[in-house]
Amino acid sequence: MTHDVLVVDSLVRRFGDLTAVDEVSFRIAPGETYGLLGPNGAGKTTTISMVAGLIAADAGTVTVAGEPMTPRAIEPKRHLGLVPQELAIYPDLTGRENLTLFGRLQGLRGSELKVRVDEVLALIGLADRAKDRSKEYSGGMKRRLNIGIGLLNRPTLLILDEPTVGVDPQSRNAILESVEALSGEGMAVLYTTHYMEEAERLCDRIGIIDSGRLQAEGTRDDLIRLTGGVDTIRLGGSGDLAAAAEELRLIPGVERVDAERRSATLTVKDAPALVAQVVGTAADCGVTLADVEITRPDLESVFLHLTGKGLRD
Amino acid sequence: MRQLLALTGSDLLQRMRDKSVLIFALLVPLALMTVFNLVFGAADDLEIDPVTVAISAPADDDLAPMLTGVVRSLDDADELDVTVVETDEAGARRQVEDGDTPLALVVPVGFGEAARAGEPVTVEAVRGDEAGLGAEIVLSVVDGVLDQVASGTVTARAALAEGVAPADVGPLVEQATSGGPAYDVESGQASDEQLSAGAALVAGQAGLFLLFTVSFGVTGLLVDRESGTLARLRSMPIPGWVIVAAKALVSFVLGAVATGVLLAVGGYLFDADFGSVPAVALLVLCAAAAGTSVMFLVVRVASTSEQAGIVTSIVALVLGIGGGAFFPVSAAGALSGVLDLNPVAALLRGLGTTSGGGGLADIGIPVAIMLGFAVVMLLASRLVPDRGVLS
Ligand SMILES: Nc1ncnc2c1ncn2[C@@H]1O[C@H](COP(=O)(O)OP(=O)(O)OP(=O)(O)O)[C@@H](O)[C@H]1O
Ligand SMILES: [Mg+2]
Repeated sequence: MTHDVLVVDSLVRRFGDLTAVDEVSFRIAPGETYGLLGPNGAGKTTTISMVAGLIAADAGTVTVAGEPMTPRAIEPKRHLGLVPQELAIYPDLTGRENLTLFGRLQGLRGSELKVRVDEVLALIGLADRAKDRSKEYSGGMKRRLNIGIGLLNRPTLLILDEPTVGVDPQSRNAILESVEALSGEGMAVLYTTHYMEEAERLCDRIGIIDSGRLQAEGTRDDLIRLTGGVDTIRLGGSGDLAAAAEELRLIPGVERVDAERRSATLTVKDAPALVAQVVGTAADCGVTLADVEITRPDLESVFLHLTGKGLRD
Repeated sequence: MRQLLALTGSDLLQRMRDKSVLIFALLVPLALMTVFNLVFGAADDLEIDPVTVAISAPADDDLAPMLTGVVRSLDDADELDVTVVETDEAGARRQVEDGDTPLALVVPVGFGEAARAGEPVTVEAVRGDEAGLGAEIVLSVVDGVLDQVASGTVTARAALAEGVAPADVGPLVEQATSGGPAYDVESGQASDEQLSAGAALVAGQAGLFLLFTVSFGVTGLLVDRESGTLARLRSMPIPGWVIVAAKALVSFVLGAVATGVLLAVGGYLFDADFGSVPAVALLVLCAAAAGTSVMFLVVRVASTSEQAGIVTSIVALVLGIGGGAFFPVSAAGALSGVLDLNPVAALLRGLGTTSGGGGLADIGIPVAIMLGFAVVMLLASRLVPDRGVLS
């Protein structure tokens, strides 16, 4: 545990009467991708701002690579790569100039700096636009540059604050792929998002945050277990569904069947494993099926279960 | 240090690319100088007709040639063309009556003696119908000379009382009256602390716009906060003061360069000479430091870059107008002391000294005022609660 790249302990931050972050604690191990999933205003950016030493915490501590992080700290910031939610690039500088400036500030110099800038330019696919001022870039290119700056110093901990907001599906996929690649190289990643698909795809562990509080934490499966972990199979069609329901209830793993005139909803332990048997049994009972629908709980259901509201307003 | 320079350099590069600095720091003030020069400079362009002055004086009067000499010396002034005709009293009057000369001066018998005795002296001036501006100028100079003669009188008396031989009194009077400012129509305003009209215009606008120019540095902190780059800078492994110091350096460099360029270009365009280059350079650096220090207060008071722009304009206009950027300002009592502490006033005063021939040694007071102002501003800015950008 002492080797964790990031340790956040009982972090609190207030803005006037509002407690934006309320006793938040979590840890990230080397190479691990940790997602903070929560709706608008949940406190994700505020948490990240304290983790990156941009603002002071009212209580609690942040430790990055073993060093305490505060706004005045310098050492722990060497380990950090930050990709802010809002674009943080200089529009009147070219892509290369932006990277070079921030590379210098991170302590790179000389040929090492030049080589690294070239590498990052290639990585974010801006090598051929490196000489253009960043204000002339498209939105997606600006986002990529914004991300690239965070990668310059090969950080031990990369912090990405909703990097895919306002990005077209193609660029979004490219961003997700590069995060996966970086994580594969052993970089620890703190990733905030309000897209549950992104959290599911990228993150080893996920913290669900709402109203400044970490509501639950764990792997995707851990979290889903919190909802009770049941799937549903919905059958639609014609025939004697009520009679079929009696037969379906006898299948091991089926916990409950609610039959109506033209449909039946089954609550089951593991829908993919049972669906073939369910469809077969229904057919045997003379039911002509028009459609079969499987629903498994996702992080959306977890969020709903934990907070009683949806992830998106 | 490397990081400070990297940040400053990149900021300066951006300010150069973003044309607003160029426009605000150089083009607008130069345009204003041109406009003001057209408006106020019209008086300078008046054509003054050549003027002939007939002077009659008693042959044996030892002070009269001095008066004649002064009038003759007016011919050396750029704008005046004065010819002196020496004649007798009747001849002088006749020349005016005939319209040959617009002005005659009749020095009475006993002029020198009366002056030396401390009695009132009069010189009769005869003006023709067509006496123009040139004649008026000659007359006003003669008036001034007569005033000097009165002071010469005092000198003579004092000298006599101390036992100077009457024969030596004449040279003494001349000494006391010669070189006095009233003779010197060329420099117009007498005091060496004062700038010529063109130089005052250039220096005033340079001083005023310096306060706008420096705002492109320090108040850039607010822009950086709004654009998110300040957060990114703060996530870098550099001390917080480096970020602030880089912006202050940007202010200082922009202010110093723009003011230097304005004085040079303005001086060339409007024919003003500010004198000793090292002394002017020192004044410009001090003024840039003073201007930069104001921005630290502005950045504390304002919470957005828009507010900062408004506060900057107010401060610039108050200091600029109070400092005499548009016209000389004078105030009585305590207020005049406050006005003197204004860095724009100090800059103009210092430039007045250098353009009058002063060097590094003569500008101690304006330099001290500007640096003192900078220190006070920096201290004052610490008293205002921080709104987040100066941490
Ligand atoms: N500087 C601030 N001053 C006052 N309130 C703030 C400030 N920053 C954040 N807040 C408040 O704190 C709460 C959490 O904001 P935060 O930006 O951390 O949310 P978030 O989870 O990042 O949301 P989003 O997904 O919209 O980015 C919000 O209610 C917000 O209004
Ligand atoms: Mg946010």
